[in-house]
Amino acid sequence: MTKWYRENAPITAEQLADELMRLKRGSVTRRHFLGVTGLGLATAVLARQPGLFNSTAFAGDLGTQMSIATWPNYHDPATFEAFQAATGVAVEVNVFGSNEEMLAKLQAGGTGWDLFVPTNYTISTYVKLGLIDELDLSKLPNYDASTETARFTNEGVVDGKTYAVPKNWGTTGIALNSNKIKTPVTSWKDFFEVAMTEADGRAMVHDYQLTTIGNALVSLGYSFNSTKPDELAKAEELLIKVKPHLYAINSDYQPSMRATDAWMTMCWTNDGAQLNRDMPEIQFVLGKDGGEIWSDFYAIPKSAANKAAGYALLNYLMAPENAVKEHIANGAPTTDSRVLKLLPADVTGNKIVYPDDASLTPLEFGAAVTLTDPGRAELMARFKSA
Amino acid sequence: MPAATNTKRNLVTAALVAPAAAWLMIFLVLPFIAMLVFAFGERAPEGGYQAAFTFAQFARLPTRAAAFWNTLVLAPVGALLCLLVAYPVAYYLAVKADPRYRLILVSLVVVPFWTSLLVRTYAWMYILGSRGIPNLLSMVGFEDVRLLNTPGAVLLGIVYGYLPLMIMPIYVSLEKLDRRLLEASADLGARPVSTFFGVTLPLSLPGVMTGVALVTILLLGEYLIPQLLGGGKVFFIGNALVDLFLQSRNWPFGSAIAVTLVAVVVVILMVAMRIAFKVAGTRQVDLV
Amino acid sequence: MRAFISSVYLFLYAPIALVVLFSFNAGRSASEFTGFSTAWYGKALSNTFLVSALQNSLMIAFTSATLAAIFGTMAALGMERLAPRNRAIFDALFAAAIVVPGVVIGIATLVALVAVFSFVNPALTAIWPGDQPPQLGLGYGSIIAAHGLFSMALVTMIVKARIASLGRDIVEASSDLYATPLTTFRLIVLPQILPSILAGFLLAFTFSFDDFIIAFFVAGSKTTLPIYVFASIRRGVTPEINAIATLVLVASLLLILTARILMREKKTKSGE
Repeated sequence: MTKWYRENAPITAEQLADELMRLKRGSVTRRHFLGVTGLGLATAVLARQPGLFNSTAFAGDLGTQMSIATWPNYHDPATFEAFQAATGVAVEVNVFGSNEEMLAKLQAGGTGWDLFVPTNYTISTYVKLGLIDELDLSKLPNYDASTETARFTNEGVVDGKTYAVPKNWGTTGIALNSNKIKTPVTSWKDFFEVAMTEADGRAMVHDYQLTTIGNALVSLGYSFNSTKPDELAKAEELLIKVKPHLYAINSDYQPSMRATDAWMTMCWTNDGAQLNRDMPEIQFVLGKDGGEIWSDFYAIPKSAANKAAGYALLNYLMAPENAVKEHIANGAPTTDSRVLKLLPADVTGNKIVYPDDASLTPLEFGAAVTLTDPGRAELMARFKSA
Repeated sequence: MPAATNTKRNLVTAALVAPAAAWLMIFLVLPFIAMLVFAFGERAPEGGYQAAFTFAQFARLPTRAAAFWNTLVLAPVGALLCLLVAYPVAYYLAVKADPRYRLILVSLVVVPFWTSLLVRTYAWMYILGSRGIPNLLSMVGFEDVRLLNTPGAVLLGIVYGYLPLMIMPIYVSLEKLDRRLLEASADLGARPVSTFFGVTLPLSLPGVMTGVALVTILLLGEYLIPQLLGGGKVFFIGNALVDLFLQSRNWPFGSAIAVTLVAVVVVILMVAMRIAFKVAGTRQVDLV
Repeated sequence: MRAFISSVYLFLYAPIALVVLFSFNAGRSASEFTGFSTAWYGKALSNTFLVSALQNSLMIAFTSATLAAIFGTMAALGMERLAPRNRAIFDALFAAAIVVPGVVIGIATLVALVAVFSFVNPALTAIWPGDQPPQLGLGYGSIIAAHGLFSMALVTMIVKARIASLGRDIVEASSDLYATPLTTFRLIVLPQILPSILAGFLLAFTFSFDDFIIAFFVAGSKTTLPIYVFASIRRGVTPEINAIATLVLVASLLLILTARILMREKKTKSGE
């Protein structure tokens, strides 16, 4: 029995033995016994998993491994090592560059993920398609809805049911290497111009329709979420004009920026903070003409094989003392006031992570329609294969 | 032959081919029919497939013209580059190399196949990235050279990945070559160059054709090398296909492209066979 | 000429040398050498995901190559006895299995299986007496089937070429001497075609072990070594990957070497 289990078990070994004797003596019913010891829940969970029914059935049985689908450079590897040390469950990390890719894997069936990280605008679609389950909040005692910032968390709740709980929020801005690029870049309009001039062959865009198309739209003065065919056509024209000048189309730009293969990229807050921390010449700016503000969530796929471990990891990540380490490592701003209190001043004072409200004003949250809009999906595919 | 023996013989034959026939039906014919059906369908509102009968997917094929074009240009160019590098190596191994070391040298050509192509291509990402060759170049004064994510990088990866596949068939055909022919040619006063063009090259053509056809056909479905060394910018049709299934979730359009790709492969193969038949005068080109 | 040949070998081996070099890196990165260490070998072998991906790959490659060797050889023998028209159909199907690009095989298998599952699984749920009906899904079976298709075609082609080069007279002589067909096969044909079956098996094994694109589509939640490596490239390669690649390389070199030595001994014994 691991240390973690001993400390968190709802009932001690002595109490368990005691209850077991009472059950044997017949002084309590089986139902009482299962309820008190928490074995009822375990039995219920295990009963739904074929082949596991005969394995050791105690509440702490989380298996030995699980899998999480998330984004590049988004976690502190130490977090998963600590989780494994505490529970014996090894965590496999799968990295994706867009929500569309995650959705495609889930639609094709059999992902093996026990936990994944969708962005705010996708959750209603996952619910509609029946790909995620409503969360059983009783298994997430570390989550506290009342300490969350509603603005960033409301999309996790659909029809009054909580399907996803927030990981952190952030923005999509521009990271640029000031040693290489001297032209000031303050907007998406600047971004695409510099990409074709001073940063020719050195700029990156995401392999992700929402941000790549969205920011192109913004640079043309349209809404980040537009699905209007004429506006999309203009954005496509711009993207195809820029494409020959790009270094790569890839959502994992950190390695290229660190190696100075790339000099400028579309960039999420957390990556911007990490890059700037290690290489101060890399700056992170928000487009003054607009862009994206987002929040990422944790959700459990309906097809998860090891839901018990999925819940355990999620609950672990929701504990403020664990979350604060994640936030310090990955540099994303928190949605949870309990975590905010624990963060050191140099993090909360970092303007990349916590920008002024004024610079957030022009930003837009992604809209659900962009995830499934065939026009945007096909535009992105055409842009890549152009 | 008595009827009973005949029936028995037929039963044995049927039993021998049955497993293969079943496998081919279930995992080749059936999937191909499914793909064909999907190609006439529609994308469901949230992505995936929805039953329909429409030619719309085929009508949209021109939107992937660039990817088809890239593939149809870079695949043969890659195969020819491969050939240019492979031929001298195969010739050396078969004709010039010291027989004592020949086997070792030939094995050394095959050994790279035993390390994952993915891992080796990743090594190329490092060599071509700014910490690799560009770093060395900057030491001698060439600043900011960019090699990764270019068509050149993809071609290099192609030559690297497929070189052994090109060397082997040429080596095999050169090795079969009767050395007395070369001697005879020399005895008759032919200069080495004319011996090569008059005797060696024509006799090695079946191997050359096999190598070129094999590499070209494999390249038509290539995904990994452009993905890793092209940075999502140099797009083959294989990349467009993966994109349609794993990003934009347009299964019917993906199926239509896949069907078209198969048609292209078949046409190229038939043309190649025809040329091989004419050039080499052989009845068939062994693909394996 | 020599210089050119040497540079080609350098070209072939430089990336491999780099892979091996970084497997001994002390640092976390597979792109910046910070010191010598063998620690990553230990880490690789204790990484449950990496080891299970390797096991999966070995299991899948072995199973698909074995099935391909058995069924492919059977088909090659059987096709000899078929009527020319039926034989042509088989020839065409096997050729198709070889020339259709892997990416198309992957997609077609995925599309077909997903379509079949969407009929079968609800049906299973409907007729199943208990509340846990078995559900079909992508996994080992679909990878083995898709790999086996190409592999079987490969084995059939190779073995068929060998059978064609066998003299018919020896088989006829055998039956003239009243050997049963089975005895003739066991004593005359099998020893002659065995090397080509083995060659086919090895090629099939190598193909399956290194295949990424087919497995990428049909693996479902299962992970093979190439899929694991591909995912690692996205999440950041650590020298663990280099360590496992080096181990695989060394293991296969040892295999080749053993095979060579065994064959040489056999040749010396038989007095060739």
